[in-house]
Amino acid sequence: MTEPVTVEVGTMGRVAYARIAPNEDLVQGVEKLCLAHGFRNAFVRGALGSLVDACLGTRDGKFIQIKGPAVEIVSLAGEVRSDVDGSITASLSGVVADTNGDVYGGPFVAGSNTVCMTFEVTIEEWLPSEKSIAA
Amino acid sequence: MTAALSTLRPRPRTLIHPGRFNPVRIQSLHSANGRHVRLALMPGTSLFDGLVTPLAELGIRNASTTILGGYFQQLHYCVAPPDPTGKAVIAYTKPIDAGSAFMIFGNATIGTDMKGKPLVHCHAALRCQDGRVKGGHILTDTCLVGPDPIHVLVTSLEGFELRQAFDPETNIPLLQPYQEPFYD
Repeated sequence: MTEPVTVEVGTMGRVAYARIAPNEDLVQGVEKLCLAHGFRNAFVRGALGSLVDACLGTRDGKFIQIKGPAVEIVSLAGEVRSDVDGSITASLSGVVADTNGDVYGGPFVAGSNTVCMTFEVTIEEWLPSEKSIAA
Repeated sequence: MTAALSTLRPRPRTLIHPGRFNPVRIQSLHSANGRHVRLALMPGTSLFDGLVTPLAELGIRNASTTILGGYFQQLHYCVAPPDPTGKAVIAYTKPIDAGSAFMIFGNATIGTDMKGKPLVHCHAALRCQDGRVKGGHILTDTCLVGPDPIHVLVTSLEGFELRQAFDPETNIPLLQPYQEPFYD
């Protein structure tokens, strides 16, 4: 699904819940959760947990690092999409709170957000209709 | 200052936890589908009761929820700095009073505690009564819904359960998915 699709029609499918363990990466953890259950496209339905440190990306390619432990994930939205190259990619963004409760937001950088104690996530499978895939 | 901007991607840290490493890093289960419910947390009820009671009446004891924005009469939260006792990597602070706060966005997981009672694990971003924007772990039993209902999107987890169980690696009890039923 490399071509942009303005409107993609589909239905929701299976629902998976995971507890992701310490020192695993947040973004790739969600991708591996999809692999574990055979989801090819999915939306995050709910997520909370903590990170050792948080790493958020900026528009100009820089990185905002929020030092923990622990940095709490207080809001998270995102999706997982499959690509024609045989990979799946989770794009997650959210708000985190540091050990003073101060908040920061942005896109989570894959490979740089390790779970501190636990990360709970519920994802719902997205099944695009054949028509949308063809478009 | 806990935030820093850099041009180089920071190297993630791998923390040492007090207990034995569990080789299973992703504990997960799925069901064929989930039920969706739009719930209203009614004025004056606690966040805990407002979530748990109406969902139990629908037979939903395991769910993932998104709490949409709304005012609370009172709201308490805590944060998670390093544990000075060393028993775990981090420990929650004492409750912090946010006053009559606005919850900007929250996520709550509903499951069962170690005694078989309902458990709600909630994190949220909020605007405190004094105007500061904060975030953390929400103490759902002492948070009271304000004058207007607050709406919640619920995705139920069917065919498996979330139960709090002691996690030897982190040395704290955590919600984990289980296939077998707790209830008859």
